[in-house]
Amino acid sequence: MAQQSATIGEIPRGGHGVATRAAASGWIVPFAAVVLIMALWPLLVQQPYVINIGTNCCFFAIGAASLHLIIRTGHVSLGHAAFLGIGGYTTVLLFVKAGWPYPLALFAGVAAAGGAALAIGPIILRLTGKYFVLVTFLLGELIRMVFVEWVSLTGGAQGITQIPPPHPLLSSQLAYYYLALTVSALVLAFIIRLLNSEVGRAMDAMRQAPSLTECAGVPVVRFKVMIFAIACALVGLQGGLQAPFLRTIEPLTYGPLESLNMVVMNVIGGMTSIVGPLLGTVFLVVLPELLRDYVLMQRIFYGICLIIVMAFLPGGIVELWSRLGRLLLRREGR
Amino acid sequence: MLEALKFQLEMMTNPIMLGQVVVNGLTLGGIYVLIALGFTLLFGIMRVVNFAHGEFAMLGGFALYYLYGQFKLPWLIAVPIGAAIVAFGSLILELAVFRWFYQKMFQSMIGTLGLNMALIYGGVLVWDAFERQIPPAFTGVLSLGTVIVPLDKLVVAAMAVMVLAGFYIIMKHTRYGLAMRAAAQDLEIAESQGVNAILMYKVAFFIAIFMAALAGGLYGQIYSLSPTMGERPLLVAFIVVILGGMGSIPGAALGGIILGFIESFLGTFFGALASAFVSFGIVISLLIFRPWGLMGTPE
Repeated sequence: MAQQSATIGEIPRGGHGVATRAAASGWIVPFAAVVLIMALWPLLVQQPYVINIGTNCCFFAIGAASLHLIIRTGHVSLGHAAFLGIGGYTTVLLFVKAGWPYPLALFAGVAAAGGAALAIGPIILRLTGKYFVLVTFLLGELIRMVFVEWVSLTGGAQGITQIPPPHPLLSSQLAYYYLALTVSALVLAFIIRLLNSEVGRAMDAMRQAPSLTECAGVPVVRFKVMIFAIACALVGLQGGLQAPFLRTIEPLTYGPLESLNMVVMNVIGGMTSIVGPLLGTVFLVVLPELLRDYVLMQRIFYGICLIIVMAFLPGGIVELWSRLGRLLLRREGR
Repeated sequence: MLEALKFQLEMMTNPIMLGQVVVNGLTLGGIYVLIALGFTLLFGIMRVVNFAHGEFAMLGGFALYYLYGQFKLPWLIAVPIGAAIVAFGSLILELAVFRWFYQKMFQSMIGTLGLNMALIYGGVLVWDAFERQIPPAFTGVLSLGTVIVPLDKLVVAAMAVMVLAGFYIIMKHTRYGLAMRAAAQDLEIAESQGVNAILMYKVAFFIAIFMAALAGGLYGQIYSLSPTMGERPLLVAFIVVILGGMGSIPGAALGGIILGFIESFLGTFFGALASAFVSFGIVISLLIFRPWGLMGTPE
């Protein structure tokens, strides 16, 4: 019995709620193990197709985890893909059309996404609940409309194709995979560290009791704007890195469906800890690949999955895990 | 440049054009109100944000396509029967899907988005993705003095007004309407007074889907019909309901008319893009300064 509960106690919960000093650094070992596995498996499986799925997984993990930051402050954004688009378009336009060196263009893309969030944030982050969801949904649509309609700059609905690789070394899929893995590992380490810090505790506090947090001396709106800008800059980084990997950039990739996808990654995985969006990313990137030959059935299946998860498992896959743990404990206790 | 502006100004003050704009505005507004009323009813009573609302409109469009276009039923019968069939059929979805999301706003958003997706691609599977036409019910024009009005749009507007009047009577003058309004205001007190909330959910769901399906038929007849056509009605329902205030029934009516006229006016004189940007801009600024909408109440 004691042993059983000990093993369940070790499940990384991502420092939700009470974060002790031990918990604050407890994530490093499992995190390093996951990164090590991710770094080694391409040596065993050398199909470029499978490696590409891995690259996509790493990229989408950045977006899902950055959205998780916003969700942890108590806001669900349905416009996150718009910032992905701002980062992607800025990087690609400066890199391809203006001829900037890629790292500089990427930096500009990140800054543009973060800057846009910094400008919009103070206005929209005063809204809560459903109003924030609605306003970000509309904002995302509006930004996507700009991508579609500003044809002279963005190439309209067709977008920009044949983006060259940022560096001759990155023309191989494996090299791109390792770039994606390195960047996403760094970003994730940053996010987890942030969530385990005082900032993370303030985020949890302002989600659960905004007025009380304000009274405790935390400037809530300023804090939220900062987190929002960081999250949008990170998703802009994903956009800037991913566009040359996909070789094309088009508005469809940055529409409400993609925003929704990022929310779903969080919801399916579980919204209360960083493990949730990562599980959700793997689930949503790998599962469609398995059903690739049946696109229609795949979409229908995806929709039905969403309904079932929301109806019976509102806490996501992470909740399934802890429920399983409790069930085992009860069995053991009998 | 100046010439073009002058021409535009002349067009705007031309009574024939203005008449067209008003009729278009009424037609669009009527359809929008039908869609938005159901959306706001579901939200007000069961706290479900129905992201699949546009797809019920799509199903209504296909019902009209078969009943009127294929089986050649008279239009005046085909429209309500088609909507009723969709609404009855959707009660199955109510039992299978919606009942899990009563009073769970966030879960309902994601769950109904899933339903939306399943319905769209189920529709593509059955009917393929190409666009169809529902044959027009009435051809010809009605001329009132200098104003020339296409008859089919006028009939659509009249149909919408009739259904809305029916909805108003049900909500204001029947026991069911009273119970639904009570449940929307305060569920617990309504239940303690003997209102059967679960039954009210089903009645409200039926009415909401009936109106959405009917609007979908009318919309599909004016524009075109395809499994993905629900996107626009959904967006419209969103905008209208935010304009009027979420859960507010008179607000939805007002918002629908306002949006219909904005789109008709700007769409005629400045193009569809300008009207989209303006209506989005209005709604976003309204959300920021008065998030509870024109006729809603602040929480």
